[in-house]
Amino acid sequence: MKGWINGIGWVTAAGCNSGRNTDQQPLCQGSLEIPKRKQVFEKPDMRFGRLDEFSRIGLAAIAFCLRDAGEESWSEKRPIGIIAASRYGCLQTDISYLQTMLPEHGKLASPNLFAYTLSNSFLGEAALRFGLTGTTLVLNQADESALSSLRYALEELAWNGQQAVIAGSCDLAPPAELSRKGEYPGGLFMLIGKEPSTDMASYGEIELRGDEIFFAGSKVNDFQALVGDVLAALIR
Amino acid sequence: MAVREIVVSRVVISKVATVTALGDGLDPLWQGLLDGESGIAPLTRFSCENYVSRYAACIDNLQASAELSLLDTILERVAVQMGALPEDCRLLVASTKGEIDRLTMACRQKGVIPPTALFELLLGKISRRCSLTDPGCNINAACASSTIAVARAAALIAAGEAESVLVYAADLVSEFVFSGFSALQALSNEPCRPFDQQRKGLTLGEAGVALLLMSEECADRHAEAPLACVAGWGVANDAHHVTAPARDGCGLILASNQALKKADISATQIAAINTHGTGTLYNDAMELTAFNAVFGESLPPLHGVKGSLGHCLGAAGGVEIAIGCRSLQQQMIPGTVGCLDAEDAGQGKLGVTSQKISGDYLLCSNSGFGGINAVVILQGSV
Repeated sequence: MKGWINGIGWVTAAGCNSGRNTDQQPLCQGSLEIPKRKQVFEKPDMRFGRLDEFSRIGLAAIAFCLRDAGEESWSEKRPIGIIAASRYGCLQTDISYLQTMLPEHGKLASPNLFAYTLSNSFLGEAALRFGLTGTTLVLNQADESALSSLRYALEELAWNGQQAVIAGSCDLAPPAELSRKGEYPGGLFMLIGKEPSTDMASYGEIELRGDEIFFAGSKVNDFQALVGDVLAALIR
Repeated sequence: MAVREIVVSRVVISKVATVTALGDGLDPLWQGLLDGESGIAPLTRFSCENYVSRYAACIDNLQASAELSLLDTILERVAVQMGALPEDCRLLVASTKGEIDRLTMACRQKGVIPPTALFELLLGKISRRCSLTDPGCNINAACASSTIAVARAAALIAAGEAESVLVYAADLVSEFVFSGFSALQALSNEPCRPFDQQRKGLTLGEAGVALLLMSEECADRHAEAPLACVAGWGVANDAHHVTAPARDGCGLILASNQALKKADISATQIAAINTHGTGTLYNDAMELTAFNAVFGESLPPLHGVKGSLGHCLGAAGGVEIAIGCRSLQQQMIPGTVGCLDAEDAGQGKLGVTSQKISGDYLLCSNSGFGGINAVVILQGSV
């Protein structure tokens, strides 16, 4: 099962950016700055400021990814899906929501926060902004390699008739008691097309053989390594 | 390597287990639905004083000790029904909020966040209890989660990537979710009435459900008698709004057409539809719009079970697919409890009494927050 990486974008401790602007590894340790609307969208966006932090980084990373691929603007809805891996999901939003629900026995429960207590809510935000009609879901699983969303995306491309799938991961920094070593907070997504982009240079071919992922013919061991390889592959 | 198309194996559902407000097991659930029973009752799990509803469909006698989640009890009651499973069975879980009762308790007590707030621990529990080697993954797509999990399981088997897949789905009636839907003004102040002209919103429910999907050859080897075949599936986002469905039903239309194409059948071959039918004004109207667009004059009989079971969130689709298997076997769909005077667009197709059906295919659909829509087509007489 094969696809082409046509765009990559992120919001991480390294900041907000996309693959055509830098070849520096964005998955790094450090504190995550939640982007403001102006850092992501030029035009006013009434909803962005109302989003929870998890949705903001996820939506922003998808926006940078689509922009990188030259696929941000659209006139007709497109069969593009989003598969997002997440270890913590919207846990921080859940906790924030509980802080509105618990003190007055539900009287002050925030309907706006509640709408984002589903991990997939930000995928809906992305779908409506960018006209994406493919499968949109969040995967939660123990996955040291963090490649699960890529595997799922390549299978979706092969089996379920989508033109492209945006795959990656999204996590805020977790509560201290749950954090693990070697985690990189933030969102990073790649646009994987069935075909190489016709408008922009593609980063290269990605392939699923059995359970293993190959990029440009070489096996990749984890998500960070894949990102490094992808960024290094573009002829700038 | 050539791209593999899904043409390899027929996929069957060979075992199901359900724990719902209408009891443990598909038999009492089915009989309760045929009898027009409802598991919706006044809530006693927490105070509803500040909420717009006091009703939910809770599982009878559901208790857990302080250090456990109610989901642990549901898992045990489902696992007992399922019995032994193939060891190499893959595991797909569908839960929207997992052990939200434990997270709520920890926050209420201002304690540390329990590790069980992470889905990977829930996955571990399910995998161990079912003696599986696969650690599994959780699919989080709101109220379409378990429908998508069944579609994913079918795709894995059809492509020859797995021989058997256990789909396990569960969600609780929790104060967390109840207060949220109340704040959104989405709860009905009376037991919900899906598709009724006087409907006022949804009623929450809870459930645990397991479905064992196998290739036909694997089912033969394990001497499992198929309950139904998964003939087609489709998933689509309507790209419209985070909490409201597209009024034109574009996402559900797309998902339905994908599923019909995958099943390689025409709309006229669908004998019945098990709808999402939440009882909210916009969801039910959207579904009727979408199904009328897909089926036109051949719109088959419709029904929904949330007037009996409440809205079981991520588990809803799994329970409804289990019911769909029985519907095809019995050539009957239960009535839609609460639907006394159906919406105009569903007149003659929906009602409170059970309906006989005639045919081999049944369509199940679910839609959820984030604009997601999922459809599975079941085939009987396998």
